[in-house]
Amino acid sequence: MISELFQYDFMRRAFLVGILLAVIIPCIGMIVVFKRLSLIGDALSHTSLAGVAIGLILGINPILGAMAACLLAAFGIEAIRKKIPRFSELSIAIVLSVGVGLAGVLSGFVKNAVNFNSFLFGSIVAISNFETGLVVGISILVFLAFLLLYKELFYITFDEQAAALSGVPVRLVNTIFTILTAVTVSVASRTVGALIVSSLMVVPVATAMILAGSYKKTAIGSVICAVIATITGLTISFYWGLKPGGTIVLTGVVLFLLALLVQKIRSLYRGRKMKEAAHEPS
Amino acid sequence: MSLECVIEVRDLSFGYSDVLLLNRVSFCVNRGDFAAIIGSNGTGKSTMIKLLLGLLPPSNGEIFLLGEKLTSFRRFSSIGYVPQNSGNEAGKFPATAEEIVLSSLYPQIGFLKIPGKKHRAMVQDALERVGMKAHARTLMSELSGGQQQRVMLARVLVNNPEILLLDEPTVGIDAGAVTTLLEILHKLNIEKNVTVLMVTHDMAQVAPYTNRVLCLSDRNFSEDAIPEGILVHAHAESHEHMHDHIHEHVHCAACDHPHDPDQCAACSHLHESGDAL
Repeated sequence: MISELFQYDFMRRAFLVGILLAVIIPCIGMIVVFKRLSLIGDALSHTSLAGVAIGLILGINPILGAMAACLLAAFGIEAIRKKIPRFSELSIAIVLSVGVGLAGVLSGFVKNAVNFNSFLFGSIVAISNFETGLVVGISILVFLAFLLLYKELFYITFDEQAAALSGVPVRLVNTIFTILTAVTVSVASRTVGALIVSSLMVVPVATAMILAGSYKKTAIGSVICAVIATITGLTISFYWGLKPGGTIVLTGVVLFLLALLVQKIRSLYRGRKMKEAAHEPS
Repeated sequence: MSLECVIEVRDLSFGYSDVLLLNRVSFCVNRGDFAAIIGSNGTGKSTMIKLLLGLLPPSNGEIFLLGEKLTSFRRFSSIGYVPQNSGNEAGKFPATAEEIVLSSLYPQIGFLKIPGKKHRAMVQDALERVGMKAHARTLMSELSGGQQQRVMLARVLVNNPEILLLDEPTVGIDAGAVTTLLEILHKLNIEKNVTVLMVTHDMAQVAPYTNRVLCLSDRNFSEDAIPEGILVHAHAESHEHMHDHIHEHVHCAACDHPHDPDQCAACSHLHESGDAL
């Protein structure tokens, strides 16, 4: 049964790309969630659609268009966030509006609507050699950067002011992170879909947070959850003939619900233990 | 013993928009002082701390930390800053006490470097100093308000600071936890000669530990304008402790000399009310 799954080249490629993205998207998602900017993925992916439209209109690779649009949007969010730090989430809403508006208007000028639509829900089973190479390269880059900057990103995410006072090059690290977020979202938009990438950024992190007992365990747990969701989602979509991007996300949501159930059982067990301890004669 | 001024503010002015909040403020905190900043809401107490850290630019005046002008000062690991509500904020972050304290060791670990055994031992030591070693691997969200605040203190102590700047560290924690926190600070102040400057509303509990009170009112600081009621009330709260404390450590808030009831009216007042209570 498994051999049937891997006999097709497009499925082997889908698994490779899917697993790589499942490793790096939660790494970015961790920081985004803990900075209270969970919707940044939505804003960037929607703006990436505007870049895709520009790419298709001008006849250049739409992924490069998406990447340029994502970078502009990411830096735009950072700039607005600094102007209104008390309402930082507004920066996302503003950029999201610009992205959706532009994508909507520009999509009317795209001749090949099918190509444009493939970016909405992704087409992980139909990606080219160039796109596979791009995902592999970007995944290695993002993962290494996340490991190298783990300590700095933790400090900035927890307390940006203290990090700056301690000598962390906050602006540099934030700029690197913004670029990594933008490139990750743009390649992920092509594979899992612009409308789905933000879910992959947030849902595995939320699942791991419920179960993990530390920041480090949350990071590892998020990656594990995303990889499980990707493998399971791709397998289900193959056998049941479903759209892979949506199936992956829904599998992730099922894992989240299971985590909630485990948490509930755990707290009931702890409560019972405490009651027993209270009734024990001293 | 000559007094070394470790925090010096000269003619400092600051305002938000067109509203002047601090007008030509000058004061000096000496090494080993345990000073409290008091004043009504909105008088600029927290702003003063942020100005001292360079987080806000003054409109006028100069600040010196450890003898160095703030604009060229880089040794921020010598300054431990615990912001307002920091414990509460940390409780929302999914990290353990150990992870939070380790992050503050950045100046000693360095950019892109991995913390070693030595750094982990320093974290354990800092947590032990605030009585939180047993909770090193507990998530911040699972700790009480007082415990969270002690972790936030360990977070700054891990770098062995010379000065501690604390912004309302006792807010939102119960009376017992406040006493524990103040005892820890008192011990650091006495045994390690760490200078403490604390913004507080809770003068009744803090007063017994302080040797100076800076009262912020009418856009300026004054040490001779300490509301007497506050000190007397504090006295009543923990008379015995304060009485010993005055004789051992207190420099007179009004004249900045070591406490001596024969030398000044303020000392005499404190002494008399102490005896009377």
